Amino acid sequence: MFDAVFRNFSFLMGGLLITFKLAACALAGGIPLGILVGLGRISKNKWIYYPVTYYVNFIRNIPLILVIFWFYFVMPIITGSSIDPFPSAVVSFIVFEATYFGEIFRAGYQSISKDLVNAAFATGLTYSQTVRYITVPIAFRRMMPSLITQSIVTLQDTSLAFVIGLPELVRRASIVDNLEVRSIQLFGFVAITFFIICYTGSKISRYYEEKVRKANIL
Amino acid sequence: MRFAYEFDWSVLWRHPYGIWILKGLLVTIEVGLLAWIIALILGIFIGTLRITTWRWMRFLGTAYVELFRNIPFIVQLFFWFYAGPMLFGEKLAHQINRIPDLNFYVAIIGLGLYTASRVAEHVRAGFASISRDQYQAVLSTGMTQVQMYRYVIIPYALRIIIPPLTTEFLTIFKNSSVAMTIGLAELTFQSYRIDAVTFHGLEATTGAMFIYLFLGLSVVKFMGLIEKKYKIKGMVGR
Amino acid sequence: MIEIKNVSKWFGDFQVLKNINEVIRQNQTVVVCGPSGSGKSTLLRCINGLEPFQQGEIIVGGVKVNDPKTNIYKLRQKIGMVFQRFELYPHMTALQNITLAPIKVLKLSKKEAEERAMKLLERVGIPEKANEYPANLSGGQQQRVAIARALAMEPEYMLFDEPTSALDPEMIKEVLDVMIDLAKEGMTMLCVTHEMGFAREVADEILFMDYGQIVERGTYEEFFKNPKTERAKDFISHILH
Repeated sequence: MFDAVFRNFSFLMGGLLITFKLAACALAGGIPLGILVGLGRISKNKWIYYPVTYYVNFIRNIPLILVIFWFYFVMPIITGSSIDPFPSAVVSFIVFEATYFGEIFRAGYQSISKDLVNAAFATGLTYSQTVRYITVPIAFRRMMPSLITQSIVTLQDTSLAFVIGLPELVRRASIVDNLEVRSIQLFGFVAITFFIICYTGSKISRYYEEKVRKANIL
Repeated sequence: MRFAYEFDWSVLWRHPYGIWILKGLLVTIEVGLLAWIIALILGIFIGTLRITTWRWMRFLGTAYVELFRNIPFIVQLFFWFYAGPMLFGEKLAHQINRIPDLNFYVAIIGLGLYTASRVAEHVRAGFASISRDQYQAVLSTGMTQVQMYRYVIIPYALRIIIPPLTTEFLTIFKNSSVAMTIGLAELTFQSYRIDAVTFHGLEATTGAMFIYLFLGLSVVKFMGLIEKKYKIKGMVGR
Repeated sequence: MIEIKNVSKWFGDFQVLKNINEVIRQNQTVVVCGPSGSGKSTLLRCINGLEPFQQGEIIVGGVKVNDPKTNIYKLRQKIGMVFQRFELYPHMTALQNITLAPIKVLKLSKKEAEERAMKLLERVGIPEKANEYPANLSGGQQQRVAIARALAMEPEYMLFDEPTSALDPEMIKEVLDVMIDLAKEGMTMLCVTHEMGFAREVADEILFMDYGQIVERGTYEEFFKNPKTERAKDFISHILH
């Protein structure tokens, strides 16, 4: 049934490892940049607000594949050295996913009501105490489900690095398929692998969502 | 080493590249629109399954959404394109593989099936956001179930889900670019192809980016008109 | 007349209504109070068949609610209901909210329905809001539209499910005034409310429910001056502060 998968198991798993590495790098860069983007989107300084908003709206209208190509073409010009797909893919993911994370952070900041902050001040908390004990913990809890969901989407998105020849899971499966022509089992295997990872992630996200919902009611 | 890069923006309009880009845009729009029809019909159907009182139907709807949402679209596309024909058996597979422009049809079906799961989720969420008391309030005036859905619940839910569906409609054009991986000559494919011939991929992809942006803004404008027409007046933040 | 005989209801293992008996005569106003979760709202929803119940029977104007042969839609036309969160149709104007059921269910012409709706809007004091959407109305105005929507079917009975508990204090009175007028005009009403001023003015009987049972019943005087159970005493001291 899965003979071609078993024969090439370590090769495929190596691809999965690269998929994870890509996703980890994308998140490690995309989330911090997303926090900045989110702050920029609620900034009252128009020199910050408008550029950030244009950046977000521009990227969100463009297919990820095109962003990947664009950086793939632009990186050698900037660095002057020949093309290495991994860093250029990572940069595209960071630039792309940060806009999505940014909107999550923006919504998170905005979900904190002014009166809640005032209530904290009224009890004598300082600004930094309020941020540390009230605003950030609450916003973080509310954002948790969306952050997890977006992380899963990011993991799925890394499969598009296929187009610049990065040997992640999908690319390796298609290499094996070219040799052995076992499309059903190979792409079936890739699909199942992604499904297990992402479904687990979405369950965790839903668990947090439920927790947040209950906390808001009680 | 390419320190000094000479820009050549004429690859965006010079013969034959200008034609390539236009042809690519046309394919992007065709695939997007046709897939959208599948996504909308199937998505509304599956979303409705998920709010019925019949458990098996609900399970079926949920299973569909979970399956298609948790597998990257590129993997789905590869599966349909490479493995799909074989699912019909050896003999039929050969015939299917001989269909001209097979990747065009696979792209439409694959994108439609994938987007349907996302549409279904918005439909379900739209209905779920209507409170139980709202349903009961309609029934308490003496209306039947059919009248309740026909005059109150469905028109209301539709208005709630139009904004997220707008976003989905935008996404379908963006996602159609993934079909380049099965050789569909859509816009992204063409900009990459220009690079292969001219080594000026940067200009070609930059141009393509702005075309996508323009396409997206047109969709937003168009949907904005529809939304304005059907908006629940005085309702904010939906 | 609404007759409730030995009604019991379970949500799974949990019994929400325990052997409820009550008769509401024509033109009477009965107020139901009690702590939250005591089954008041559920009882209300059993009367117009929005919630099924497993034991006993409810008869409204001689028609048995829990009889499968009863046309429940026909019955509901005679029973108006007002909800805590108004539940207006957000995509329709006040006027459209009121005229929808008369047009679709009673098959009135649009003109007749609108005339009827305008009279009702005048009665609840907001004819000028006819073409506003619910989101542009205050809570008190929304609730008055909701009452008008129920009255547009010319019901013989009215059920109120905590109609003022989602309202700001200054809006409570405008809704209660409408309800008091209704009661005085002889509408048969069953109201779940903690507004004791309202109860004193118009209630013929007050029911106190706790844990799915009616634990006390009597006139306003009897209930407030002479509560028999500890739970009722406790409850009264809470709502009178």
